[in-house]
Formats: sequence, structure tokens, C-alpha cells
Amino acid sequence: MCGLCGLLGEDLHWSDPLGDELPRRRERLRRIAAINQVLAVFRLKVEDFQGASYLLLGATGKQALASGLDQLWQAAQDMLGRPLDPLDPKLLDHLECNPL
Amino acid sequence: MSIALNVITGFLGSGKTTLLKRLLQGESLGDTALLINEFGDVGIDHLLVEDIAPDTVLLPSGCVCCSIRGELKEALLTLLQRRERGEIPAFKRVILETTGLADPAPILATLNNDVQLRGRLHIGLVITLVDASHAVLQERLHPEWLAQVAAADRVLVSKTDLAGDCTALRAHLRALNAGTPILDTHAIHSGDQLLLGEGLRSAEPAIEVSRWQLHQTTTASHGTAQVCSLTFDQPLDWVGFGVWLSMLLRCHGERILRVKGLLNVNASNTPIVIHGVQHCLHAPVHLPAWPGSDRQSRLVFILRGLDPALLRRSFDVFSRRFAA
Repeated sequence: MCGLCGLLGEDLHWSDPLGDELPRRRERLRRIAAINQVLAVFRLKVEDFQGASYLLLGATGKQALASGLDQLWQAAQDMLGRPLDPLDPKLLDHLECNPL
Repeated sequence: MSIALNVITGFLGSGKTTLLKRLLQGESLGDTALLINEFGDVGIDHLLVEDIAPDTVLLPSGCVCCSIRGELKEALLTLLQRRERGEIPAFKRVILETTGLADPAPILATLNNDVQLRGRLHIGLVITLVDASHAVLQERLHPEWLAQVAAADRVLVSKTDLAGDCTALRAHLRALNAGTPILDTHAIHSGDQLLLGEGLRSAEPAIEVSRWQLHQTTTASHGTAQVCSLTFDQPLDWVGFGVWLSMLLRCHGERILRVKGLLNVNASNTPIVIHGVQHCLHAPVHLPAWPGSDRQSRLVFILRGLDPALLRRSFDVFSRRFAA
């Protein structure tokens, strides 16, 4: 738990920050920004929820809470009705052709 | 203090129980708890080792697959409780012998994901026995064979006396699971030899890095498996890499039999080693330092039914995106 803000934090995951140079919340926002780069292609968006969960927002107003990356990918798949495939050539073309 | 859980797997009849029975007679496995997963109504393997290791716990309902994860958890928790109550000696490691039909991935997932087990047990070594006389046929007919070989941290070739020349088999195993030591069961005389190092956590860091640097893997197909090797010189963005790999494992986990890598990441000055089997990736291990000036990152995937070229492109696109 964070001593300053009293947040419980996210469940452990292998992709958690390797060092402790940045505060956990800041690291979490970096991860969310990275996820949003990928999800933008599908017109989905993720926001932080209480430093512990992810709030997934669909283009039509649908919302879902996920605690952890694995649950988040599952929630995004449920919302889209198809899996989020990082090998999908269309996704890769879009990421290549639309720089930040 | 976390206790190592070592997994001994291998197809039916590859000699797992024979090896364990031989090694349990020695002193070096004296402080080992043994779990045996037996397929069938009567657990014969249990009886075979009973006289030597009386604390053997038999998982009764057969194959270690997703459906009995709970049972594996119960067996492990019971073992730990009995140890704490002093009913059994304070063992310092656990060996789990799987059935010959088991895919090791769910065992690793159980240990990784269960909050009651995590922190009390960690994965030591996955040791896979390969029956030299039937390997070719087993690989062709049974998908479990490949999953077991791909998950191995150490491969033991058994029945070499029956099979004759095993050079081609060894070369095939080396190509499938590069960098993994391939030994002969006849050359294993003690438990210490079998479990030397007991996994990455206690491996000598300089040797671990050298092992990666010496074993250059090339992308190629080997039977039904494809080995995909990625190398890159620039430090990797750890956050972006985590997003890419977690997404990939979520979508294609059952087709990624193994992923392992030595990584140079921007968030760490020291090498990071990752290991995963199917959907399950272990916590990354930090090695203390790079032994030389070579800081190239290496990632190896053992795939079944995934196009390595597409994987490479996806990795390149994502890493360029997140490096920006």
C-alpha cells in the first residue's frame, strides 16, 4: 500500500516496473499511456481507477473495470467482440503509418 | 523463505520414476518432498517410490491439466502445513513428477497465479526426460511431447542404450530448445547433479549470460515447431515490451510453447532474464551485471502454428513505436 495516498495498488504482474526510480503511480500512468497507443486503433481508451484497476471505455459509452493487464485484454476483447491480436497486419500497418 | 518446486516431466515410459527411484536412494535428495501425479485408477508409481520416500503425496485424479489445478494447490498447501506443524521433516525442496501426458504449463500457472502459493513456493527447474528410442514417433503423434521439451530447463535423454546413435536426436533437441543443457540419464548419479543450481534464481550470473551469448539461435522450423529468434542492440522500453508481450500471450499463449530472453532494458543497467511457458510468464530475474561489453538482447520463442515472420514484424513495429 502507498503510505501517502493509501492506495492498495495493482496486483503483481511480471511486467511491473523493474526499478523504483519513479513513484508507482507515475509508472502506472506510463503503462496506461502505452496501452492507450494500442487501444486507440480500436477506438477504445483506458483510464486509471483508484491506482488499482483499469477503467476501459468504449466508443459508444460502454465501460468495464479490469484489475490487471490480463483482465484488461479480456475486457477489451469482450467489448470489441474479437481478440486484440498484436500480430494482426491491419493493426501493425496502422501503428506504422500513424506516428505519434 | 520460498521453497523451490522442481518439475520432472517426460512422455509415458520415458523413465521418470526409474530415475527418481534411483536418485532418491542417495543422500542428496534426503530433504525432498515428492509429489507424484499418476494417471489411472491405481497409482502404481506411488507404490514404486513409497518405500524410499514415505512422504510421497499422490494426486489422485490423473493428468495435471487445468481441471486439477485446485488439487495440485491443495496437495502443495497440505504439504506446507504438515511441514509447519512438524509432522514431516522440514524439506528444502519439492519435486513434482507429472504424468507422461501432462503439459507442464498449468503447473507453472498454478504456482505463479495462486496467492496462497506465491511467495511460499517458486519454480525451480523443469526437467524433461526424452525417450531416445521412441522420440521420433512420440513427437509426431503426441503434441504433449513438444510442450514438455519446449518447457524444459534441462533435457535428459533416456534409454540411449536401446536407441543406438542419438546424435541426430540431440541435435534436434538442441535446435528446438536452444541453450538448454541436454544430458544423458545414465550420467546423472545424484540429486545434486540433477538439480544443480535449481533454476535461474541460484544460477551463476556470469555463466547464465555467457550461456545466452554462446548459443546463437536461428529462426527455423523443426517438425511441427517453429523457433523464432529475435536479437536487438538498442535497449528495450520495458513498459512497451510488457504491453506487447502480455497482449501476445493473452491472444496466442497456447501456441507459444516457450518464450525466454536475455534483455537489455532502459529501466535497468543490468541484464534481465525472462522465462515463460504458454500463457504464464515468471517474474523477471535481475542478474547483477553484464560480464562484458556485449549487451545485445536476445529473445527466443518456440512456436506451434504461428508465423515467425509475423511475430518478428509485430515486435519491430511495437518496439519502434515505444522507442519513439
